[in-house]
Amino acid sequence: MHEMSVALEVCRMAEERLGSDASRLVALGVTVGDDAGIEPENLAFCLEALLEEPPFEGAEPRILREPGDGLHLSYLEVIDDDSSND
Amino acid sequence: MTVRTIEVRERVMAKNDEIAARVRARLAAAGVPAFNLVSSPGSGKTLLLERTLAELGSEMRIAVVTGDVQTQNDADRLARHTDQLVQAVVTNGACHLDARQIETALDAVDLAATDLLFIENVGNLVCPAGWDLGETAKIALFSVTEGEDKPEKYPKMFRMAQWVVFTKLDLLPHVPFSLTHAVDIAKAVNPTLDFLMTSAVDPGGMEEWLGFCRAHARRGVSV
Repeated sequence: MHEMSVALEVCRMAEERLGSDASRLVALGVTVGDDAGIEPENLAFCLEALLEEPPFEGAEPRILREPGDGLHLSYLEVIDDDSSND
Repeated sequence: MTVRTIEVRERVMAKNDEIAARVRARLAAAGVPAFNLVSSPGSGKTLLLERTLAELGSEMRIAVVTGDVQTQNDADRLARHTDQLVQAVVTNGACHLDARQIETALDAVDLAATDLLFIENVGNLVCPAGWDLGETAKIALFSVTEGEDKPEKYPKMFRMAQWVVFTKLDLLPHVPFSLTHAVDIAKAVNPTLDFLMTSAVDPGGMEEWLGFCRAHARRGVSV
């Protein structure tokens, strides 16, 4: 029921981490414990909607399951534009 | 173009818990015990608090932060029974209170002039279990018009709570509710729970609860 609150917090954490690189986010992994009280599909749906909005540009949410009641932002995948180094 | 993975492994609740720790420290510094009342909608949180304010208002200074998804109706009801501040938090759709809302609400409360703080959470047995508000303890209300298996259905909430307050005991003769069965189910979920019996309408139905409030109010309050 509170998946949207969780999704908003996940996006805030990602933005805090990435700063001006937020637009380069291509995927983020959220680990959801089986007893965390979070409906994974609903969370993915909320994240998809939020990750379409600036500062993001359509990153993919990946929900990872684990035993227990943990709820973590596990990883961020960003694309590095290394063309300037060529 | 290369894809780089940044390991984060950070708890989603970390920020809320950080603010909750701040709230807890602030309450502890002021010596104010704070109880977070949680229950299904309609279990009687607001009526219990109305009666509490009416009965104890002359003995101690009780502040209330009350959360609702929409409307300030509960705050208006409570404000009729006290001169102390009743702080309304409208969550605008959110199904729970979070620590930030409590931290903001406390800015308007004179903690030095508060002996006991109640936080009336949004009526919901699911989501408020996940949000630490910095309270001293969670108290789950459980009315006898509900199913005895509520603790089994919503185990997280009953595991997080330290007390269960049964409400509407005046209705027991009219409903197929076994108090002992409900207590057994709750204890199976959380063996450390303590139970209080209340009726907000029966004469004497509030005594056990009022005794609890007197015992837990800021030390030094004359009773």
